[in-house]
Amino acid sequence: MSMLEQYFSTDWASMTTHDWAGLIVTVLVFFGMLITFYLALRPSKRKELEEQKYKILNDD
Amino acid sequence: MDTTAKPQYDDGVVKYLTVGATVFLVIGTLVGTFAAAQLAWPVLNFDIAEITFARLRVIHTNTVIFAFGGMTLMATAFYTVQRTNGVRLWSNGLAWWTAILFTIGLLATVTSIGLGITTGKEYHEQEWPIAIAIALVWTLYTFNFILTIASRNKETHSHVYVSNWFFMGMMIAITYLYVINGLAIPVSLFQSYPLFGGVQGAMIQWWWGHNAVGFFLTAGFLAIMYYFVPKQAQRPIYSYRLSVIHFWALMFGYVWLGAHHLQYTALPDWTGSLGAVISLAMIIPSWGGALNGMLTLSGAWDRLRTDYILRFLIMSLAFYAMSTFEGPVMAAKSVNALSHYTDWTIGHVHSGALGWVAMVSIGAIYHMVMKLWKTEMYSMQLINIHFWLATIGTVFYIVAMWVSGIMQGLMWRAYDEYGTLAYTFAESVSAMHPYYVMRTFGGFIFFLGAVVMLYNIVMTIRTAEARSANKVESLA
Ligand code: HEM
Repeated sequence: MSMLEQYFSTDWASMTTHDWAGLIVTVLVFFGMLITFYLALRPSKRKELEEQKYKILNDD
Repeated sequence: MDTTAKPQYDDGVVKYLTVGATVFLVIGTLVGTFAAAQLAWPVLNFDIAEITFARLRVIHTNTVIFAFGGMTLMATAFYTVQRTNGVRLWSNGLAWWTAILFTIGLLATVTSIGLGITTGKEYHEQEWPIAIAIALVWTLYTFNFILTIASRNKETHSHVYVSNWFFMGMMIAITYLYVINGLAIPVSLFQSYPLFGGVQGAMIQWWWGHNAVGFFLTAGFLAIMYYFVPKQAQRPIYSYRLSVIHFWALMFGYVWLGAHHLQYTALPDWTGSLGAVISLAMIIPSWGGALNGMLTLSGAWDRLRTDYILRFLIMSLAFYAMSTFEGPVMAAKSVNALSHYTDWTIGHVHSGALGWVAMVSIGAIYHMVMKLWKTEMYSMQLINIHFWLATIGTVFYIVAMWVSGIMQGLMWRAYDEYGTLAYTFAESVSAMHPYYVMRTFGGFIFFLGAVVMLYNIVMTIRTAEARSANKVESLA
């Protein structure tokens, strides 16, 4: 096994419930981030979001 | 009916919290300076248990973080939530109860620590009765904040401004982290044993510990930044979309960092590696946020020459950027092997605490004082003096700790030709003396700045009415 393969090799059989819970949460968070980035950065949303920043300038 | 009239806000409680925060800044930095002097000249412990370094250090951290920082967060949250949503507080009475009970909780914390009553858990030293009371008060604060947002007019204020998101994220995260880390079995009124032991206990403790930094001292103060920088600069934040990304990246990312406090301990190795990797990844949103704040001034940088309050706010962002670069570097295992347990950590903490947290708060407090008492500051020149005292004090403090920390780390790991340690621990302690003196000096200068601020604010409040009457007369 190369160094790289060795580094990434996982003994799936010995994963505990905690390990699985952690893995699933990590992967979900990763996709959650991707979705958020897409939602915030898509060009069609630009005007709507950037408008918000002017509102506070006259709030008092 | 005058439809152009600005809405009335509940500002009494904000005034109380703003002045309270300033008073606690003075007390907290005074205690910090005295604790720093004790490290330089141990005779200052006077053999009096209540004021030995061990207790004063914890009194210092609780006073600056929870009393000064907490009151600043409450004042700014109550101030901004009303203005960004165009409504009064959901309950002004509840806000007053929150503020008064929080003050009592803080005094109880500090007194109990002085008496030697502590759980021994960093940033969670309160024994169970005080901890439960504080958690309840915090919940009242969160509840009132969220209901104020919910009570806004959804037609005129359909969108909730980003500073509110940061505040809410901070409130919710701090509630669950504080409660879980505090789970304990009481055995008497002032003693309890934590539910988690051994390595789990350490992990839970630093899950809370680092998030006290990540949510309390960062997300909450970013909320302050996203409101007060644009207001003081009178320009909109550079990019609203970047602020949205900044928010979600912090919320998703920060909770993973705690393990970087436990490198090379009994924790599984991968946990520390995960903590280090996510720490390094956090440089990206943190710098994005810092740039977002700073670039708000693009095209108007000359304002920094004349607006001393803006200087505090922008300087705080420079320190935010610096410490969010330094932190991830220190989380990397090879650097951590040198820096951990040394004064470098203390230097890092204070570049964030003095440079970022204190300076952004100071800027916001000056801004609020003028708005709340509807007047200019008593002396702008004193704000300028404060700015230089705070900046020079911070630089002295952190440079001293960098030199001392790196020297300590190198001395501890130096071997001679026979493979034995080159220095005894006591030798490393005595080598620190000049840097401890320098840190005390830096801290003292910073403390003087806080005194100048308190004086300026008290004079502003005392002369506010007379000055606005004069103004009206001269206009008439
Ligand atoms: C005049 C200003 C200040 C001085 C002289 C000062 C001094 C000190 C000293 C002597 C310690 C103990 C260091 C050790 O154990 O070796 C300390 C720890 C600490 N201070 Fe300050 N401090 C100041 C302001 C602040 C502020 C404004 C904050 C937060 C907003 C803060 C947050 C902390 C924290 C979190 C620690 C614990 C660090 C750790 O455990 O790694 N300090 N400070």
